[in-house]
Amino acid sequence: MKQNHLTFKIFSLIVLNDLVDTAAQLFMKKGLLHTGIDSVNLSNIAEFAARNASSAFLWLGILVYALNFFIWIVVLYKVDLSIAMPVGSFSYIFIPIFAILFLHEHVNMVRWIGIICIILGIHFVSQSKKPIMKEEKANQWLR
Amino acid sequence: MVKIVLFVLLAEAVTVIGQILFKKSANSLERYSLRSNGARIRFLSEIFARPSLWLGFLAIVIGLVIWLIALAQGDLSLVFPIGSLQYIMILFLAHIFLGEKIDKMKFIGTFLVVFGIVLITTTH
Repeated sequence: MKQNHLTFKIFSLIVLNDLVDTAAQLFMKKGLLHTGIDSVNLSNIAEFAARNASSAFLWLGILVYALNFFIWIVVLYKVDLSIAMPVGSFSYIFIPIFAILFLHEHVNMVRWIGIICIILGIHFVSQSKKPIMKEEKANQWLR
Repeated sequence: MVKIVLFVLLAEAVTVIGQILFKKSANSLERYSLRSNGARIRFLSEIFARPSLWLGFLAIVIGLVIWLIALAQGDLSLVFPIGSLQYIMILFLAHIFLGEKIDKMKFIGTFLVVFGIVLITTTH
């Protein structure tokens, strides 16, 4: 049966999707950092692409990114897009937290307020318990 | 600067169209429980046969390329806050194209998320 609202299971899937996305971004960033090219412009873009093409980390990042699609499509199958997207903004929280834990970055007060706003926003959106769509509209999509 | 703002908005709009196409293809499927492997395989083989899914992929890739061009030219503290407007675009476009309801909780929550992203990405 179709889900009418965000269940804990789907919520966990969205968080997993964000964690995998964060990992993919970090891999890709790590891959891109090792090219030895500081700024990209039209004259060196071919060399930039060629050097990146041999970066294992970049490909790992792209692979993880692609695999994440399978999690995302299951999420979309179960809940509203307009619920899944805001709840998916967890990566904006994960990245500062990872930066604090692993990179010992300083996070200022304004950013903490921003993180709290996002958490509150996700909480509000996940309280939205409206059906996926009107029943008749759902039927229209069934084959 | 206006050019970068327009680029970011274009990237977001194209990405949002891609997400809506993904959701359309997911909505067009029968309701599987996804509890058995057989149902999961049928779900995946059906969804990958949907043209709207592949159009969605195309839109996401084009959106990503435009996003990267904007990212390469503009400040992160400009590109990311404007990029967060995609959550508002999704709210309204999902209502128009997918019939998703906008209730008070979703509305307030979405704007809080956008406000939070703006706060995080504009400060150093």
